[in-house]
Amino acid sequence: MLTFIGLGLYDERSITVEGRDALRDADRAYVEFYTSKLLGATVDDLERHHDVDIEVLERADVEQHPERVLDAAETESVAFCTAGDTMIATTHTDLRLRAHDRGIDTRVVHGVTAETAAASLTGLQNYRFGKATTLPFEYAHAGSDVPNSVLDTIQENRDRGLHTLVFLDIKVGDDTAGADVRDGDEYMTASHAADRLATHHPDRVAVVVARAGSPDPLVHADTLTNLAEADFGDPLHLLVVPGDCHLLEADALEALADAPRDKLDVV
Amino acid sequence: MGRRKKIVEQCERLMDKPENIRNIAIAAHVDHGKTTLTDNLLAGAGMISDDTAGQQLAMDTEEDEQERGITIDAANVSMTHEYEDTNHLINLIDTPGHVDFGGDVTRAMRAVDGALVVVDAVEGAMPQTETVLRQALREGVKPALFINKVDRLISELQEGPEEMQKRLLSVISDVNDLIAGMTEEMDDVDDWTVSVEEGTVGFGSALYKWGVSMPSMQRTGMDFGDIMEMERADKRQELHEKTPLSNVVLDMVCEHFPNPVKAQPMRIPRIWRGDDESELAETMRLVDEDGEVVLMVTDIGIDPHAGEIAAGRVFSGTLEKGQELYVSGTAGKNRVQSVGIYMGGEREEVEHVPAGNIAAVTGLKDAIAGSTVSSVEMTPFESIDHISEPVITKSIEAKNMDDLPKLIETLRQVSKEDPTIQIEINEDTGEHLISGQGELHLEVQTQRIERNQGIPVNTGEPIVVFREAIQQNSGEVEGISPNRHNRFYLEIEPLADDIVESIKHGNISMDMPELERREALQEAGMDKDTSQDVETIHRTNVLVDETKGIQHLNETMELVVEGMQEALDDGPLAAEPVEGALIRLHDARLHEDTIHRGPAQVIPAVRNAVHNALVKGKVRLKEPMQDVRIDVPNEHMGAASGEIQGRRGRVDDMYQEGDLMVVEGEAPVEEMIGFSSDIRSATEGRASWNTENSGFQFMADNLQREQIMEIRERKGMKLELYEQVDYI
Ligand SMILES: Nc1nc2c(ncn2[C@@H]2O[C@H](COP(=O)(O)OP(=O)(O)OP(=O)(O)O)[C@@H](O)[C@H]2O)c(=O)[nH]1
Ligand SMILES: [Mg+2]
Repeated sequence: MLTFIGLGLYDERSITVEGRDALRDADRAYVEFYTSKLLGATVDDLERHHDVDIEVLERADVEQHPERVLDAAETESVAFCTAGDTMIATTHTDLRLRAHDRGIDTRVVHGVTAETAAASLTGLQNYRFGKATTLPFEYAHAGSDVPNSVLDTIQENRDRGLHTLVFLDIKVGDDTAGADVRDGDEYMTASHAADRLATHHPDRVAVVVARAGSPDPLVHADTLTNLAEADFGDPLHLLVVPGDCHLLEADALEALADAPRDKLDVV
Repeated sequence: MGRRKKIVEQCERLMDKPENIRNIAIAAHVDHGKTTLTDNLLAGAGMISDDTAGQQLAMDTEEDEQERGITIDAANVSMTHEYEDTNHLINLIDTPGHVDFGGDVTRAMRAVDGALVVVDAVEGAMPQTETVLRQALREGVKPALFINKVDRLISELQEGPEEMQKRLLSVISDVNDLIAGMTEEMDDVDDWTVSVEEGTVGFGSALYKWGVSMPSMQRTGMDFGDIMEMERADKRQELHEKTPLSNVVLDMVCEHFPNPVKAQPMRIPRIWRGDDESELAETMRLVDEDGEVVLMVTDIGIDPHAGEIAAGRVFSGTLEKGQELYVSGTAGKNRVQSVGIYMGGEREEVEHVPAGNIAAVTGLKDAIAGSTVSSVEMTPFESIDHISEPVITKSIEAKNMDDLPKLIETLRQVSKEDPTIQIEINEDTGEHLISGQGELHLEVQTQRIERNQGIPVNTGEPIVVFREAIQQNSGEVEGISPNRHNRFYLEIEPLADDIVESIKHGNISMDMPELERREALQEAGMDKDTSQDVETIHRTNVLVDETKGIQHLNETMELVVEGMQEALDDGPLAAEPVEGALIRLHDARLHEDTIHRGPAQVIPAVRNAVHNALVKGKVRLKEPMQDVRIDVPNEHMGAASGEIQGRRGRVDDMYQEGDLMVVEGEAPVEEMIGFSSDIRSATEGRASWNTENSGFQFMADNLQREQIMEIRERKGMKLELYEQVDYI
């Protein structure tokens, strides 16, 4: 049995009760933190809180040699955890399919993810989001500028009046990352992202969501140029580029995120 | 020193009269007397004492050059010579003859317009004679011939007039056959063969400092008969005074070598692919000292005081201190700190160096040998590729921990000064690799590191460099990224030999404008559609993008190229470089989001696909080969040919030349390691021999596996191959 468990947004307590029970009951628990991370808890915290041993997997353990996890799941109850939800931005469908191919039962226990936090904290309507995209670090993307696909996604969404959720790259300091980040983790800040996007759209308004799920989340809207100058504190950050705003959405952005209303496209 | 200053002043005065300038190189087979001849010219020009000329070897300034008795570094010197009442400035480069230092010859040829080819009268035209001629002609540099060591024919071999004439004529006709063959397809060259009557052939003795040519006979009244008589009677000093070698050669240089005004219009189109209608093209053709500055750097050297010095040919404009110049291939500009000319081992600073001269410049910190340095941004000159790739490697590590960083810095500098050296730095183990043209090349370089830099080093045994190549089509192969969201479909086939050769010779490269590259590819045999889709060329491999309209592929292409490069740098058999692969990318499926098609996904997917395809194309190991020529007395001929055959070699020809037998053949470089001492003992030291790298050849199938495993073991790789490698 292989159970995919989303750990939620921030720390050891962000997991659902159902997830907690599943984790506790597992014979063996794995977690991967190379796609995303819990900023408010270490692996030790997780182990202590849930009273289980958790093994951290590297990218190669999941993508290239998943046999170990799958072999274990043949005979035991195995939990595979990630931050957020296991299937949304982190896309572990592949692992699930491999298990399925081997006749292993699988189950998904949902977690709260940035996708939902973005809508709920900003007041922008879930129905009005278009395709999401990720802004990669300069060195992770061949070329220093913003990849065209990112700009295209934002533009296509806007052309249709839709909001864009922009995930910001993180690099986890392990061997699978480049040598330049091996020393430690690296998180792209919202101001860094805004700075890069501002070279293309200086006056466009965007909304920063920082530390969603933590005790002190922050939501702030301004032009990309102004956001580039500001400091939004500890990670994780993400960015939402609003499309056309419904009246209620504009009200929410103004009230909850200090948005300059005159710069929003209100319909 | 006063005399020297005076000569510098004279040179400076002549520098801005391009009609009176000659830029020349002296080139020859090893030991045929280039440096001794250069001594004569320096003495003739009053730069060294007439008494020591011939023994001083003023251009062999390095300690190791004097110890080994060979030239290692090409050396520049400027001198003046009065010919037909006009004073001429001659910028000369003495080049090394040993095949391992051939890269210096290739680069020197870029700076000059004439090549004085020296041939030893006793040995005749030898393998390196052919090579230096080819290096000169490829650059559009005009040859003339000097037959040296004629004293030995007279005094040592006691040849009579007929015998001697026959021998000299056969040297001339051998050289002319080479020139005619090489210039056959050069439409910008009429007849560049040499002839006694026209005065493009000189004879003499660099050691005893006399010379003769048709024009000199007319001038001095000294003919061959007189010369033989005096040489026999040991009146060499008198002979030297009556018909000094330096006059014969310097007159020939002034009369027959083109001046820059004549040479540049013909050379520029050969070495520069920029717009020939542009103003820059015009000022280069006209050798215009008022044009934009254009300098082609051909040599990087180190001066203990001034640091790095870039030497090269000024094709247009005037170089001056303080100029801010672009360096091709780098961003930003470098500031010229000083300009000068070379006077033998040393440099003399001057106010300015105008077009048509060879200059020594400091301050160009980004320049490497081959850089184009200019006052406006411009299409760079063709790269100067040395034809022979490195075939031998040694590991090198510092004995003392403290020297670790200094060794890395020194190795980088070595490869900058000598582009035919390749360096692989391994900061983790401290065991670096240095690859070069031959055993001597590496020995000299490592000795210099120890001596000049004072870094004690340990070096490993020399090992040869291999290549991996396929001989058949792979069929389509799928490459899947670790997250399985991205897939690449590609196929590899062997690249036609003609295309590989053209790439090696620099006739096809990514530096060329696209249209020209397409044409060159088609000319070498590639079909039109394929040539239009070429995405990149890596070493001698070509990546062709045959996909149509795949979303996001353009922003992923750099990673595809990176994955391909990794796969080709470390081939699937033994992590040796792959050559001659034509990779066709047929199709790709990519994840929507950049983050899921980043380097960690795309690079391994492509790398694995390329390796799998190479294995399906039955990739095999190729090893470097050498042509071997041994000159040996008859009684040792059997032993000599045995030395070739015993080394997995092949003897192609054996024939008599004079009183010696010549054995010619080919053998693997790996087996040739240690050849020098073996042949010496096999022939009681009576053999002389030459080797020249002749490219890579597939190893026999029954040797492949063992060799592959040996390399893998040495590199610390797993001792198992891809399962599908079942064909060897
Ligand atoms: N008998 C005789 N010996 C000569 C003559 N010219 C040079 N040699 C001798 O030939 C040997 C090689 O002379 P170099 O001038 O060093 O030859 P090189 O061509 O510069 O040699 P590399 O630069 O190493 O290729 C020396 O021992 C010279 O003394 C000559 O005209 N006659
Ligand atoms: Mg020499």
